Amino acid sequence: MNHLSNILRRSFSFCLLFLYAVAADTLSAQNLVSSQKTGEEIFTARTKQFSEFIERFNYKSDFNGNPVGQAFMSKMPREKMIALLFDMKDPRTVSGNQNYSEEYIKTRSAFISDVTQKQLLINSHSPGIIAEARARVIYNGQPQIISLFLNQEMVGKTSYKWVLLSAKGDLFDIFKEDTTMVRFIPPTSHETDFINLKRALEDTDHLQDYASNSYYPDYLTLFFYSIKTRAIKYEYVEDVTYHIIDIPGWYFKVKDFNRNELNSGWLITDVKRNSLSLSDFLKEI
Amino acid sequence: MKKLSKMGRKVLFIVFGLVTGLYAEAQTKTAVTSKQAAMVEEINLSAADIEVFKEQTKQKIEEFQQYIVTLGSKDQPAEKRNMAEKEALKLFYEGAQMEISVIMPDGTTQKVNRPMEKYLARLKSLPYTRVVIKFYDIAYVSEFTKGPDGKYYSTATIIQEFTGYTADEVVYKDITKKEVEIIIDLVEDKFFKEKRWKIFLGDIKASETKTTTTP
Repeated sequence: MNHLSNILRRSFSFCLLFLYAVAADTLSAQNLVSSQKTGEEIFTARTKQFSEFIERFNYKSDFNGNPVGQAFMSKMPREKMIALLFDMKDPRTVSGNQNYSEEYIKTRSAFISDVTQKQLLINSHSPGIIAEARARVIYNGQPQIISLFLNQEMVGKTSYKWVLLSAKGDLFDIFKEDTTMVRFIPPTSHETDFINLKRALEDTDHLQDYASNSYYPDYLTLFFYSIKTRAIKYEYVEDVTYHIIDIPGWYFKVKDFNRNELNSGWLITDVKRNSLSLSDFLKEI
Repeated sequence: MKKLSKMGRKVLFIVFGLVTGLYAEAQTKTAVTSKQAAMVEEINLSAADIEVFKEQTKQKIEEFQQYIVTLGSKDQPAEKRNMAEKEALKLFYEGAQMEISVIMPDGTTQKVNRPMEKYLARLKSLPYTRVVIKFYDIAYVSEFTKGPDGKYYSTATIIQEFTGYTADEVVYKDITKKEVEIIIDLVEDKFFKEKRWKIFLGDIKASETKTTTTP
């Protein structure tokens, strides 16, 4: 009896999600928001975890978490499944909105067709999945938000772990940009045992100008140092966003939309063409 | 508790003595000794075993939900609620925490961390005359991934509906999404004197999806 009710519930959920997919075809957010759905229906449709986002994106599992089969494929082709993984309330995709962007719609379509035609998949442990954890820290007695960037690393042959890649935040912006002045250590300073270094290092807001052209500040080291010297007290992660560069030629961003609608949970909030490597991407982000 | 396949057991007996010794050494949730990490590298669960554990995870989650419903129900006898609290705690890995997002009066969200035992004790003594807790029938369990400590990790997502009454009036209602960390660990079975894989619940992240408070 219980088994039967489970089957009936799943069939009903599937019908509902099919209607959801049809509605998604028109990309009308209002259709999806106004109709009253039960909590369980929403929970089924919702991309509940980032892992589930990857499974749906890779077309490995249906809305109930079962492997994608022929019946599902015929009703829900992969391009439709990926379209459902986009935030349908993105103002750039809502016709009539002042931020509506034909260009973004085209980029989104090009992305979906590239992924489906080339049958591209996200590797769930790829270093090209960069998690941005927006963390609350206490600095000078005041709460501040910083971003910590992490990706996954393989350990041995079978295990994985998340590792810190970089840190960003206003409190790490210790240098001031000033293009009105050219700062330098004179070319013959070596003969005077770099007496000029004292002058240069007193110019504390512009120390980076005395560094080489290839110098790039290592904010992660600055973060570690600040934690170690207790200049920063770490509190907790406020939210997480994923930046994905695992699909060749593309970048897309995935965020959790905590709302009581079918189009909720982990959804794509931005997509762009990308040619940057991981290290360059981290500098640009 | 899942029984290991013959092959798995053989491997385990070989390393049993060493591992037992090493477990006594310092280990935290985020660090293991290098020796232990090297040893657990060779101890793996098969894909079939992992599938069985995925099913067992759903059972553990249901068990946990049942205990939560019982310990929250003010109309249940105190002994039964105390027992539910005790049994619920046994499901968790030592040191498991509950992180709750609290919506502040100014609309901002703050997070509060509590040890699981404190969270369960609070749930038992909430200031309502009646509490009704319901869970959705469905739970999503992600694939298990092995960590450098040899344990297998996954996350289950569940939804809880909470209603607090004063007399017959609803004074508080919320729907909370809970992300429950799942850990499969090799633990010593004192009865059989061998190590067996066992599922534990770990940290839980709770975030409100909908709140209604009646003054």
